[in-house]
Amino acid sequence: MSGATIEALELKSQMDDPLRACVHCGLCLEVCPTYKLTGEEGNSPRGRLHLWRSIDEKRLPEDDDTDFYTSECVGCLACESVCPANVPYAHLLEKERLRQYERGRSKTDWKVRLAGRAVKQPSLFNLALTPARLLRRSNLLPHPMLFPGKPPVMESSAAYAKRLMAQKQPDGPTVALLTGCLMEALFREINFATIRVLIENNVRVLIPDSQGCCGAFHEHTGMPGTDKLFENNRTAFRGINVDRVVTNSAGCGLALSKALQNKPKVQDIFGFLGELGPKQRPRQEGTQKVYVDLPCHLVHGQKVEGIPPNVLNATGYDWELAPCAKDCCGSGGVYNIQKPENAREILKRKSDFLNHLPSGVQPILATANHVCMMQWHTARAFIKSPFQVKHIIQLLDPAL
Amino acid sequence: MVSPTPSYKSTLQRAMSRGQLLTRPAQLVPYEADGLGYKRYPVELVAIPADVEELQSLLKVLKETNAPFVIRGAGTSLSGGPVAAQGGIIIHLSKLRKIEEINPRDRFALVQSGVVLNELEAALEPHGLYYPPDPSSGLSCTLGGNVATNAGGIHCFRYGVTGNYILGLEAILLDGSIVQFGGPAGGRGDWREDWKRLFVGSEGTLGVFTRFWLRLIARPEKVWTFRAMYPDINSASEAIRQLARHPSYPAAIEFMDPRSIDMVENSPMSVGLPRNAYMILTEIDGPPELVDARVGPIAQLLRNCGSDDVSYSDQANQRQALWKARKAQGGLLGQVSPDFVVQDAVIPKSRLNEILNFIYEKADAAGIAVTTIMHAGDGNLHPDFLFDQNKPGELEKVEQIGKELMKKVSEIGGTLSGEHGIGNDKAAYMASHLGPLGQAIQMAIPRPFNTRSQLNPMKVFPERRYA
Ligand SMILES: Cc1cc2nc3c(=O)[nH]c(=O)nc-3n(C[C@H](O)[C@H](O)[C@H](O)COP(=O)(O)OP(=O)(O)OC[C@H]3O[C@@H](n4cnc5c(N)ncnc54)[C@H](O)[C@@H]3O)c2cc1C
Ligand code: SF4
Ligand code: SF4
Repeated sequence: MSGATIEALELKSQMDDPLRACVHCGLCLEVCPTYKLTGEEGNSPRGRLHLWRSIDEKRLPEDDDTDFYTSECVGCLACESVCPANVPYAHLLEKERLRQYERGRSKTDWKVRLAGRAVKQPSLFNLALTPARLLRRSNLLPHPMLFPGKPPVMESSAAYAKRLMAQKQPDGPTVALLTGCLMEALFREINFATIRVLIENNVRVLIPDSQGCCGAFHEHTGMPGTDKLFENNRTAFRGINVDRVVTNSAGCGLALSKALQNKPKVQDIFGFLGELGPKQRPRQEGTQKVYVDLPCHLVHGQKVEGIPPNVLNATGYDWELAPCAKDCCGSGGVYNIQKPENAREILKRKSDFLNHLPSGVQPILATANHVCMMQWHTARAFIKSPFQVKHIIQLLDPAL
Repeated sequence: MVSPTPSYKSTLQRAMSRGQLLTRPAQLVPYEADGLGYKRYPVELVAIPADVEELQSLLKVLKETNAPFVIRGAGTSLSGGPVAAQGGIIIHLSKLRKIEEINPRDRFALVQSGVVLNELEAALEPHGLYYPPDPSSGLSCTLGGNVATNAGGIHCFRYGVTGNYILGLEAILLDGSIVQFGGPAGGRGDWREDWKRLFVGSEGTLGVFTRFWLRLIARPEKVWTFRAMYPDINSASEAIRQLARHPSYPAAIEFMDPRSIDMVENSPMSVGLPRNAYMILTEIDGPPELVDARVGPIAQLLRNCGSDDVSYSDQANQRQALWKARKAQGGLLGQVSPDFVVQDAVIPKSRLNEILNFIYEKADAAGIAVTTIMHAGDGNLHPDFLFDQNKPGELEKVEQIGKELMKKVSEIGGTLSGEHGIGNDKAAYMASHLGPLGQAIQMAIPRPFNTRSQLNPMKVFPERRYA
């Protein structure tokens, strides 16, 4: 056999010319929630890539329709997981959204823009949302997305971690925890539970004060500023000596891992606990059953297989993966605010199994991202019987 | 190009109240191409009917539009099938995705033509039922596209191709009438001839499929996968020959050439295969007592043919590992090359060596990289020619090699397409392959169904233009 051309078959980097990396095979169509919703090729990953490439090659003018198709993407990245050609879709989407924003073509809602600016100042943001925490705690903040919970109002996660560390004196591995913007400002009880679980498992928890927004919000919306936010977190997390940086929100974890580039390694809380082998909660007898949903930015973004079974077993609950657990719930960061009809329809299809559970089962829908929790909570509009939405860390919480 | 009547949009609008009509540039551009992304054909309008009824009313008015039209399933065709080669309208069946019935008792499923293969597979699994045709595009290709191209797959050596599993089909003809050939019980139905056989593989040129009755079988209880590496083509060919006539009747016999292996081994998907070797993968399945007893003899056969590197397993994750290089091959093409063409010839299995050398010689002389795999049991050869359309002359070279290869394949008694269809990409080879008589007959028979070639013109036979 002559091997004359074999040397030419070196892999090229898909980043050299990412827009042309797509080979148009179409294997990504059926994992795309918006293609399944609309049946339109332009609303599929292959379609969007084709449009962006056509604009780039000047075969198609940019117009309201091209903007529309870009804006329709949930950003779930399921297309990346199945793509045999490794097309860097997330990178292209972010670039496209940023470009749209810079050219004034983005239709991002003013409230979303305002929030994007606000989260850049975490301490102000936290302060401003103090009344919201108080109201949520007292169940006085009715909003379809606000799942019930009792966030501590005044004490910050950082202060709590310090206090609990002093009390329990863990001496195992050291992690830094990203506390997030919305998570800390509104859903702080999840951070507190995370800290309790880590410390109970003999993990030392540090919360660098100077950490800021992870930048995911800006990536989703195309708002500029990600570079600065990334830089800020590099400074915050690289200045301390830790074994891992852990995150309890899949979306923030993805953005932070892009910022830190493995220095130090960013890991989702459940991957980390899975390696440790977490303490077992008592067996929950009764009719409650946990349906585990997997956030897109965990499985498709961070490319993690799922939540380790030893972690789920440790909750003490009967559990199983929710049907189509790796499919998007429609949350997409702020997608459910920008495209409520699509988000609702995507969730409606995904959550329908809750309408067909064996009678007597009391379902808990558990996931690993607060934004997905908000989205799931809205399913009450079309799920006939009651169900709870929880963060998986809350099921491991020793204070439970 | 034919011009549609000026009022054709409103004509179509009349017929569609629930579905979508796409007319603006950004809505249409994504429909320019199928799985052969580098060949683009402008589309004037796309219709996405909401259901079968709307599709029927759409077809009833299409004649008045004076526009050619093409049916599209998922657009994963690799032969330029669901593209508007002569302009006009694309009808996208992405909304016809109902699995209407799964009947375990009589072992059939009734599905709409836009149902996606993997979705069917998932729905059948809980019933222990199996629909064997398994093209590698199963993640998104539709049953309509499968039937229209008579799709095959890795397990078709034993189980046969799509056509073997069509008990009946329903189609809408050009005049809007609905016909049903065969049905849940199979056979001819109310017709003198078994017309469904004519429609299977018709590549969207006879009518628009709406529903299929699919034959289902029991899921194989147990599967063993074997991988054997061979130092030369002769020993690999001998293994193919012996496997193909072995009484265990393997479900799959796959072949991968050293250049494909190099590509995998140079990539992050590397599995540690030896270089300069030829790979054979085979599978046997059936009741555990039966297949377990055959494991030893198959492993021995593979060794006797000259392999000292044989691995096998019945465990899902290890079987997956054995398949890994083969499954990675297609995707990697896109990572080593901006563009590629997958040829789809079928050759007598004994001529593999000769054809492989022919391919290497032509490709090397032209400076075009090529990797080759084969559904070896069926002799269905897929040489993949890699090129960059932005480099002047490369596409032409690949087309020239394709032409010479097809000529050679015809000479040794092979055929142009095993499973991907002729589309318009391979249509140019048809005249020389079939000869004047063969072509005249084959163009005459379907004519009554598509008199003026309004339906999918310029496919299969380039002469079939809508006028
Ligand atoms: C990565 C990859 C792997 C592949 N592997 C295989 C393989 O292993 N085996 C194989 O056989 N093929 C394979 N193919 C080719 C392709 O997937 C098949 O031909 C498939 O059957 C096409 O289905 P589709 O729904 O995408 O049809 P399309 O591509 O949309 O259409 C294909 C043809 O069918 C016609 N058609 C579609 N629906 C209808 C209908 N309802 N009525 C009438 N005509 C219709 C179209 O007009 C067109 O001519 C592969 C393709 C890719 C991209
Ligand atoms: S990111 Fe999700 S919504 Fe966007 S194209 Fe990919 S699969 Fe579709
Ligand atoms: S799977 Fe990847 S290569 Fe295939 S069409 Fe989608 S993005 Fe393109």
